[in-house]
Amino acid sequence: MSDKIPTSDAIHVFDRRAVRLHRDRAATTLASVSDVLADVAERLLDRLDDVMRDFSVALDVGGRGVVAPLLRARGIQVVSTDLSPVLAAQAQGVAADEECLPFADASFDLVVANLSLHWVNDLPGALIQLRRVLKPDGLFLASLPALGTLAELRAALTLAEANLTGGAAPRVSPFPDLRDGAALLQRAGFALPVADGDTITLLYAAPFALLRDLRAAGEGNAVRLRDRRIPSAALFPAALAALPTQDGRIPATLRLAMLTGWAPAASQPKPLPRGSAKISLVDALRGDADP
Amino acid sequence: MNASVPVDPRLLEILVCPLTKTALVYDRERDELISTAAGLAYPIRDGIPIMLPEEARKLDEA
Repeated sequence: MSDKIPTSDAIHVFDRRAVRLHRDRAATTLASVSDVLADVAERLLDRLDDVMRDFSVALDVGGRGVVAPLLRARGIQVVSTDLSPVLAAQAQGVAADEECLPFADASFDLVVANLSLHWVNDLPGALIQLRRVLKPDGLFLASLPALGTLAELRAALTLAEANLTGGAAPRVSPFPDLRDGAALLQRAGFALPVADGDTITLLYAAPFALLRDLRAAGEGNAVRLRDRRIPSAALFPAALAALPTQDGRIPATLRLAMLTGWAPAASQPKPLPRGSAKISLVDALRGDADP
Repeated sequence: MNASVPVDPRLLEILVCPLTKTALVYDRERDELISTAAGLAYPIRDGIPIMLPEEARKLDEA
């Protein structure tokens, strides 16, 4: 293989065509993994119950058929999007690319992206666009697999491939670090950004079932520099045999970053401008400031 | 094939061209959303707007 690593195009970590294809194909298999997707969506949407306000129109980004019903059950109108026209048709929504959204500014008062932003090349850019389609004081909720997700699989595949070929190709997507979550939101212009971690451990009776589920969810490898050759027949058996077990089952960890941010509005609490304090900090610490 | 399913009018109100973010013109006859700014026509298939630039038809200069 004479694959050069392109420099000008370095930001394109993911092959969006492959992402779309994997999601197109997943249309017939999603039902087998919808319980996992719905579990994550429920955890994410729990946050709505803590918010003392009503939402009328929501954008569901790549919700794969589980997010829209949960929102409608809360009395919210939903517009669903997916990069895959097949999934968009299933959702009676719009086929749209998170990297170039087709919605006018201030169209929604809620945006929900459940496990759908981790195949986006320009995550800060996508977040800015998602913020712009929100009305002032609109809420953005997203769950993202974070660093540590499928760590067992990544380690086992890397080790097995290194043993077989002396090298290793990226076979598990690179995930963002949870610690970067709030900073990403802030950079995209969201107010009151919060990133919480949540962990779900799935236990599989057979290692191939994990790979089958990933494929069924449309989560096949779409890293652009993935090795497109058919791997050695020994690779997956060797890697899967090396996966750690827990009570005879194979654990697969989902490390989730739950992101919450608000479109800025004048009514939101803000820090006071620098230098506007009327009490000296020194006096306050000494305890003799005027009350 | 051309038994076109109508698009939700509320959806048409908020859709813009994904590339230029400008308003679209709904061509009922061809079932397309036309962005004159980008020179592209986005297809509507069975009532589903396909707002993907790679799926759009390039408008001729003529």
